[in-house]
Amino acid sequence: MAKKKNKQVLRPWCWYCEREFEDEKVLMQHQKAKHFKCNLCPRRLNTAGGLAVHIQQVHKLEPENLPRIENALPGRDGYEVEIFGMEGIPAPDVADYKRRKEIELGLNPGSISQPPNKRPKVENRALSEDELRAQLAAHRALMGASERAAPAAEQSSAAVYGAPPQAYSSPPVPAMPPSVMSPPGMPPGVHPGAPPFAPPFAVPPFPMMPPMPPGASPPPGYPIPPPGMPPFPLPPGMLPPGAPAFPPPPGIRPPFPPPPFMPGGPPPGFTPPPGMALPPAPPTFVPASVSGSPPPPGAGGGVPPSVAAPPALRLPDPSLEQTYAPFKKPTVLKWADPNFSPEEHRAVHPKYYFPKDSTNQQMSGQDGEMRGKKRARAEDFL
Amino acid sequence: MAEQIELSSPPFDGISSVRFSPSSPSQLLVASWDTTVRLYDVDANEQKAKFDHRAAVLATCFGDNEHAYSGGLDTSVRELELNTEKINNLGQHSDSITSMNYSRDLNSLITGSWDRTLRFWDSRAANAQQASHSLPERVYQMDLVNYNLVVAMASRLFHIYDIRKMDVPAQTRESSLKYLTRALACMSDGQGYATASVEGRIAVEYFDPNPDVQEKKYAFKCHRQTIDNVDHVWPVNALAFHPIYNTFASAGSDGTVSIWDHKLKKRLRQYPKYHSAVPSISFNCDGTKLAVGVSYTWDEGEEGAKKAERPSVYIRTTGDEIKPKGWTGN
Repeated sequence: MAKKKNKQVLRPWCWYCEREFEDEKVLMQHQKAKHFKCNLCPRRLNTAGGLAVHIQQVHKLEPENLPRIENALPGRDGYEVEIFGMEGIPAPDVADYKRRKEIELGLNPGSISQPPNKRPKVENRALSEDELRAQLAAHRALMGASERAAPAAEQSSAAVYGAPPQAYSSPPVPAMPPSVMSPPGMPPGVHPGAPPFAPPFAVPPFPMMPPMPPGASPPPGYPIPPPGMPPFPLPPGMLPPGAPAFPPPPGIRPPFPPPPFMPGGPPPGFTPPPGMALPPAPPTFVPASVSGSPPPPGAGGGVPPSVAAPPALRLPDPSLEQTYAPFKKPTVLKWADPNFSPEEHRAVHPKYYFPKDSTNQQMSGQDGEMRGKKRARAEDFL
Repeated sequence: MAEQIELSSPPFDGISSVRFSPSSPSQLLVASWDTTVRLYDVDANEQKAKFDHRAAVLATCFGDNEHAYSGGLDTSVRELELNTEKINNLGQHSDSITSMNYSRDLNSLITGSWDRTLRFWDSRAANAQQASHSLPERVYQMDLVNYNLVVAMASRLFHIYDIRKMDVPAQTRESSLKYLTRALACMSDGQGYATASVEGRIAVEYFDPNPDVQEKKYAFKCHRQTIDNVDHVWPVNALAFHPIYNTFASAGSDGTVSIWDHKLKKRLRQYPKYHSAVPSISFNCDGTKLAVGVSYTWDEGEEGAKKAERPSVYIRTTGDEIKPKGWTGN
């Protein structure tokens, strides 16, 4: 398309809003920012097709529910035309734009647009399907036919789904059998001698993507029960966590990393490769001041002794014990105990521990000397 | 007015809970591991009352304007008379009390404990404890909106109750997050709740069991940082919904507070990092202020306590950042 006639340079312009730009780079930046910005997340795409794929695959909107292209002139807010900078603008629109430009600049008709366009002036008119198809066929030929999904209007959504597989379609890491999980009774996260992080291994490019085989019913997966323990049944009406609205077709992954708002978490049922250890468990509280060794977790039972030595934390219902699967990526989880909160550990520290025996029941209400001691300790802390 | 002020007389040890009054926008309760509950007037930056306890206090909440309640490691449920600083003992759990809410509809105090019970209290009755309900696990967090009481427990269990019908939970759920539940807050519009785990992640869930509504639930990552290719993941310690805009704030052990629009799934703002972890946050009743408790949260045990900074309570004046985009009023 001739840009120069009579030394008149037609500046790059945006098909969506007919704004002019210094050069095509700025134009593309403008299009990313104004027209190809996802309004559900901060992501900006390069083309309308890219935006359509993004919204459908990441935000799970049906093709018919796609929002219109933002900030576009009426009739130019659809996804059918694949615009990339100045490329892909339908020829009638180019001609029309040039003619209006000529008028605006006071040039003779035809001085920019050669030959003069015979068509009636068609400002902002919706293009017929035949026109579109012809133009897009030409455009597709220009672009190398397979590079982009530049479909005809009525097949746009299907064609977007059927986009050729990207290079990212590496198979998901095979799940390990659950036998690598810690057996019950073994404290999770305590693997003496294990390196804090795995030796380098191939990290799948997009760990957030649920590698759900099509047709497989997504298992609830978590927590992977230790042997001999029944899994938690999902309450009715609750969807399995992380299940996508539809399983992605095999071999096709969205060609972008996940945005911050990706529904679900690590894929259900995923088990990372062996050799991966949780970060070191937080220090256990065996205070030096305590003479007798406290009972080990899970041992003993019954009422905690009402002596000054705090009891070790004990699960009230060991059948509900939680374990974490190791992380896929090197991760430092700042609180790694799956069964007790920071407060529970803090509450059995000698500085805070408060014995719960029957004598306290009578004392409650009259806060005496006990409190003074506690307060003094609290101030030691500073 | 300055964007944020620091209260001049904060607790001496870790902050467990900050709670604004449901009716008076400047009244703030702060419960602490230093065994106190303090009442502040945040407009005047003044400590109005202080209640000493025998052990660390983990939970506090307002009742009516003259009364508040507290509970903690000493397992007693106490009523605090805010004007006279008098403490009335209501009764006892058999383990530490971790959370409490006051229902103005039922005039009941609801407490949750590591003793795996929920108990209902009425301070006007001769026998204050009205009811006790057993649960499968230790109660970590509770929140109440209208008649919906959400109870977050250890082992990632959730019960949702209609507090008028406490004999059976209306719904029992397993957390959609894979890690220890750390925070819970109900939406101001009563449609659902948000919950967060120690693994820097927040889930947004809805009460309505209809599959179409349940499909809207989602989870996202936050409060994490990648340093030298290693993901550092902090617990999300607290969540709070804005009473008017229904956006919510999250606070983490990374010392940050973020504001989220859960409908648009967007982060509206991340406030500058605080000097320590943020264990608790609260919006005041008209949503013009956000209280931020800042103190060590025991994530590194005793070792971390040795180098911990002095606790602070900040009162942030909220601006447009907490409004959803395109907010036009009700």
